[in-house]
Amino acid sequence: MSDIDYKDRGSLLNPLKSWAFFGRPPVTEPLEPRAASANYRGFHVNDWEKCVGCSTCQKVCDNAAITMVRIPGLPVDPVKGVRDERPAIDYGRCCWCGLCVDICPTGSLALSREYVHTCTEEQISSYFVLPDSSGMHGKPFGLGWSKTADADLVDLGRQEMRELEPEQRIGNFAEIVAGYDDQQALLEASRCVQCGMCHDACPTHMHAPEYIRAIWQGQIEEAVRLIYETNPFAHVCGRVCTRRCEDACSIGKRGEPIAIRWLKRYAMDAVPHERIKQIAAAGKATTASGRRVAIVGAGPAGLTAAFDLAKKGHAVTVFEALAQPGGMTRWGIPEYRLPYDRIDRDIDVIRSVGVDIRCNVKIGQDITLEELRNTHDAVLIALGLQQGRQTRIPHSEHEKVFRAVDLLNKITAGEPFELPHCAVVIGGGNVAMDIARSLARMQKQQYGQVDVVVTALEDQQHFMADPDEIKEALEEGIVIRDNCGPQGCEISASGKLIGLKTWKVLSIFDEHNRFAPRYDQAGETIHACDTVIEAIGQFADTSLLGDALTESLEWNRGRLKIDAAGRTSESWLWAAGDMVSGPDVVTAVADGHRVAASIHEAMSVMEKTK
Amino acid sequence: MRPENYQSVSQPPSNEFELFYGPNHPGIEGNYALKVRVHGDEVTSARADGGYLHRGFEKLMEGRLWIQNIALVPRICVPDPVPMEVCYSLAVEELGGIEVPLRAQWIRVMQLELSRIAAHLFFFGGHAATTGMYTPMFWGITDRDLILDLFEELSGGRVYHIYNIPGGVRRDLPPGYLERVSKTLDYLESRLPDYDNLLFTNKVFVHRATGIGAMTQEQALEWGVTGPNLRATGLAFDVRRDDPYLVYDQLDFDIPVEAAGDAWARSLVRRSELKESLRILRQVVAKLPHIGGAIRAPIPNPLAWNLPAGDVYTRVESSKGELAYYVVSNGGDKPYRVHVRGPSAMHAVQVLEHLATGARIEDVAQIMFSLDACPPEVDR
Amino acid sequence: MKLAASPPNNVSASLEFLLQEIPGLRTKWAGPRRLRVDLPAETLPALLELLKGRAGYVHLSAISCVDWPTQNEFELVYHLWSYELNVLVMAHIRIPRDPGVYLSVYDLYHPAAFFERDIHEMFGLYFEGSPDMGKFILTEWDGPPPMRKEFDSEAWVMNQFEWQDYRPDWLAEIEAKGGGITTRPQDIRKDGKP
Repeated sequence: MSDIDYKDRGSLLNPLKSWAFFGRPPVTEPLEPRAASANYRGFHVNDWEKCVGCSTCQKVCDNAAITMVRIPGLPVDPVKGVRDERPAIDYGRCCWCGLCVDICPTGSLALSREYVHTCTEEQISSYFVLPDSSGMHGKPFGLGWSKTADADLVDLGRQEMRELEPEQRIGNFAEIVAGYDDQQALLEASRCVQCGMCHDACPTHMHAPEYIRAIWQGQIEEAVRLIYETNPFAHVCGRVCTRRCEDACSIGKRGEPIAIRWLKRYAMDAVPHERIKQIAAAGKATTASGRRVAIVGAGPAGLTAAFDLAKKGHAVTVFEALAQPGGMTRWGIPEYRLPYDRIDRDIDVIRSVGVDIRCNVKIGQDITLEELRNTHDAVLIALGLQQGRQTRIPHSEHEKVFRAVDLLNKITAGEPFELPHCAVVIGGGNVAMDIARSLARMQKQQYGQVDVVVTALEDQQHFMADPDEIKEALEEGIVIRDNCGPQGCEISASGKLIGLKTWKVLSIFDEHNRFAPRYDQAGETIHACDTVIEAIGQFADTSLLGDALTESLEWNRGRLKIDAAGRTSESWLWAAGDMVSGPDVVTAVADGHRVAASIHEAMSVMEKTK
Repeated sequence: MRPENYQSVSQPPSNEFELFYGPNHPGIEGNYALKVRVHGDEVTSARADGGYLHRGFEKLMEGRLWIQNIALVPRICVPDPVPMEVCYSLAVEELGGIEVPLRAQWIRVMQLELSRIAAHLFFFGGHAATTGMYTPMFWGITDRDLILDLFEELSGGRVYHIYNIPGGVRRDLPPGYLERVSKTLDYLESRLPDYDNLLFTNKVFVHRATGIGAMTQEQALEWGVTGPNLRATGLAFDVRRDDPYLVYDQLDFDIPVEAAGDAWARSLVRRSELKESLRILRQVVAKLPHIGGAIRAPIPNPLAWNLPAGDVYTRVESSKGELAYYVVSNGGDKPYRVHVRGPSAMHAVQVLEHLATGARIEDVAQIMFSLDACPPEVDR
Repeated sequence: MKLAASPPNNVSASLEFLLQEIPGLRTKWAGPRRLRVDLPAETLPALLELLKGRAGYVHLSAISCVDWPTQNEFELVYHLWSYELNVLVMAHIRIPRDPGVYLSVYDLYHPAAFFERDIHEMFGLYFEGSPDMGKFILTEWDGPPPMRKEFDSEAWVMNQFEWQDYRPDWLAEIEAKGGGITTRPQDIRKDGKP
C-alpha cells in the first residue's frame, strides 16, 4: 500500500540529506503584523450613514457582545424607520464570526482587515468599541469580510400575494386579494428580524413584532390578542391600512418590507369570530363605573374610543347619522378592497364589549349636542370628513359634476344613480382611485366596457395614491393622465356636459412650498366625457355643532382646536379622527385610544354630578 | 485538579510511584492528563484524566440558534476544525431537508482535505517531537501555515474558519483561488521526499516508533478505535468511502493501511494519507471551475428558523477518525440536544490506558501523540 | 447526487428479517445507511447480542442520551456500525427518569465504558455493571448533572460571573450629551439580570 520505501532502506544517513537545507534561506516572518487577506474578519466598521440602529446585529450575536448605544445628534425618524442608536462591540466577547455582517438589514456593518489591539489592564475599556467607518484605531486598513449577495442572511423577497387577475375582477366587486395561506404566513412572518421599527412608526403603536413572532410560532390566537391590545379595527386595518409600519421596516431598506398588513389580516381571518370576541373582551372591567359617554360618529375613531371606554366599564352610546356604522371604512372604501362583512365583524366585536351603537340618529335634528351634554359625563365628536371638496372651476356646478365621496356613498348604500358612460375623475389620491375603479366595475357590468379617465396635477410617480392602487387601476383599463390641471368643464350648446378642459402642469408648489400650480396653456386637452367627478379632498361638516357652540369653541384655520389628548376648549367635549387629524384609518384608531384615555382620566376626577 | 484541592494520600511503603503526566506535556495537542503508576521505568497502570478543556459545548449549543452554533463547533477541535463545521451542518441540513448545492459540496470537500493535511502536518511534528526530533515539528508547522493562509483567504479566519453554514458555505471562492491552492499543492507535494528523508525513512525514528503502543486489529475493534489508528491495524475502513457524504463517492482515492498497529504504522498511514488528500485536492481543483451555481441553499431568517422535530446521526472522517454528531430537534429554533462523538473520546481514554500500561515511561508521550488524540473532543 | 433510501435489497431484507427475532421492535429506514430501531429497554441487550453475533455489528459508535423531562424519561440511543453491512443501526430506548438506572453494555462493547461514564456524569443516569462510574470531566463540580434540562447553565453563569464593566471615554462623552446605553446584550437574554 505504502509507496514509501522505508522498510529496507531506512538508514541513519537519510536525514543527512536534509543538511542541504542549510544552504536555503530560513522561513522568516516579519515582526510587524502581516497584511490580512481581502476577506479577513477583523475589527468592525459601521457606516453610520447607512445604519438605522435596528439592533438586528445584537440579536444574532451568539456571544452577547453587542450593546446598543443612543447617540444624541444622529437623525431620528420613526416614520422612516431610523433610530439614533448604533452598535458598540465588546471585544472581550466577540468571536469575529461575522454573522452580524451577514444579517445586517441595511448592509452598514462590515469587518475590516485590522486585527491587532492590545492594552494594559488599566486600559481594559478600550475593548469596548463603538465602530464607525474610520476603523478601530482611526487608521485605514480597508474592508475585509463584508456583505455579498450570495451570503446575505436577510430574506429580501416577500411572499407573493395571490390576487384576482384584472379580467377576473373588473366585472365585479369581489375582493381582489386572496390573503395568505398558513404556509405563506409562516414564511412571511419568519422574515421579520424583530427590530420594532414598525411599532415606532405605527400611529397607534401596534405590537407588530410580537404578533408577527406569534404567527411564526403558530400561536395565532396570541397574535390576535396582541393586535387587540392596540387596534379594534383589526379586520379593517388588516386590509386597508396605510401601513406606515411597512415604510419603516428595516428589511425594506434593501428589499421588500415584511407584509405586516397581510399578516395581520391572516391572523384575523384564521381565528373564528366568536373566539376573537372572547379575546377582545379579556380585561374588561367587571363592574360598571356609572359614567356615561356619548360619541358622535361611528367611524374608526369614535368606535375605538367607545371600545376602550366600554372595556373600562363606562356606559358608551355611539350616535351615527347613516344607516350603518363604520364611517368612511364602510361608506368610502369600495367592497373589492374591504368587504362589508369584515367591517361588520370588527363592529360586532366592539358591540360585544358593551358599546351601544344607534344608527340613523342625526345630531342637531333628532337630538342636540346640548342634550347629549346634559345626559352624559363626556361627549366625543368624531365626525370624519364626509363632504367632498369642490374644484370651483367654471361650470363645475353642472348637475353631471359629482363629488367622489357622494358617489361612493351611493354605491355602498345601493342607491341607484345614472352611471356615466364616460367619466373623468379629477384627483390622484386613493379616493380618486376608489371611485374610478368602482365606476369601471359598474361600467363593465352594465355597458360591457370601461371608460374612465383619471386626471391629476402630479406626475404619476408622485400621486398621493398607493402605488398598488395605480398599478391595479391601469390593469383594469383605467386611463391615467398626469400633469393635468383642470380649467373648466365643457358644456355643449344644449347644456350637456361634454368634457373637461385641462392645462399641462408646469409646477405645483412655489418656492415657499405653497400650493400655487403653474400651467402651460399650450398643453390644453379636452377630455371628452359625460360626467366629471371631483376627488380632490374632503372636509368635515361641523354644522351639527350649532351656532352657539361653534361660536364658543376655539378653532385653528378651519379645524377644531384640541389639546394633545383630543380635548376641545369646552371641557366636556372631545374631538377625534379624520376631522382633526386628516384622513387615515389607523391614525383615527390612534386618536380614539388617546381621547378614550383622556376622557377616562377626566371622568375619574370628575364629581359625580349627573 | 487544582493543586490546592490535592490531598496527599499516605501509601504503604512500595517502590511504585504515581506520576501526574500532564495536563501540560508534550504528548498531546491540548490540556489533558494521564495518571500513571510506575515501577522503575515501567508503567504498571494508567488512568486518563480529562476535563481541563471542558467548556460545555453540548449544553451551550442547546441555548443557541441553529445558525449561531456554527461559530461554536470549530472550537471543539482546534487542529482540525473543518470536519466539526461540516458534520454539524450536515446534521442541520438533514433535519431541515435542505439540499446543498453541488458547488458548496465540492468546496466543502476541498476544505476538509486541506484541513486533513494541516492536521497531519501538525501530527508529524508532534510525533517526531515526542521522540526528541524537533526539525519535523518546525517544518510541519511552517508548511501547515501555508494551508492556514489558504483558509484565511477563503474564510477570513486562519484557525476558526466559521465558513460552513447549514445550506452550504458562506462565501464563494475569491478570484484566482484555485490557482493558489494548486501552487500550494505543488509545493506540499515537493516536500514529501524531504519529509521522508527527515523522518519516515530515518532509522532513528523507525526504530524509535516500531513496536511502540502496538495493538492488534481485534483489540482495535474491541476498543472502538477508528480512523488512521484503525487503518494502521490493517482494516481498510474510511467513512468517506464506506458511508459516503458530500461528493466523496465521485472521487478517486485509495485507503492506505498498515498491518503493524504500532506508533510507526500509525504515523505511516497518515503519511500515506497526505498523498491521498493531495490527490483528492487535485481532482477538486480540476472539477470546481466546471461546477457553477449557488454556494448556499436558501435558508430562512436565522432569527426565526424552526427545524422539524426529529433526530439525525451524521458522520464524517476527520483526520483523527470517525467524527459524528447526534442532533435532536423538537421543532424549535435551537437544537434540543447535540451529542458530539469525537474519535479521541475512545483514543485518549481507554485505548491510551490500555496501550500505556506495560509501556516504558519514556514511550508514554509517543504513544499518546501517535494516537493523534484531541482532548477537546473528549471534554467538549 | 441522490442516494437510494435504503441499502441494497438483500442487506436491508436480511437485516430486517434478523431483527424480527426481537419482540416489540419497530424499524424505520431513516436514510440510505441508517436504520432506526425502537424497542423496549429490557430487550436492548438481546438486540445488541444479535447484531454483534450475527450481523457483524462490532462497532459501538456512540451512546447518546436525551433528556425528556416533560415525559419524565431519558432516551438512550445506541449507534452501532457493521463493517460488513455498512449500515448504521440506531437503537432507541426510553427509561424512566426516576430512578434513572439502566444496564451497562460494557461486556458486549468496551467503548460503552466511556459513554456510560459520560452520561452518568452529565445526566445522572446510573449504569449497573459499568466498570467505572466515577467522575471524569466535572471533577470539581458538585451541582446537579448539568446536561439535564432543568439545569439552566446561562442562569448559573449570570449568577456566577460579573459582566465586564467598561468605561470608555467615548461613552462618557455620549452620556454627557444625554445619550448612552439603551440595550445591553444581557437585556435581551432570557434571565437578563447581570
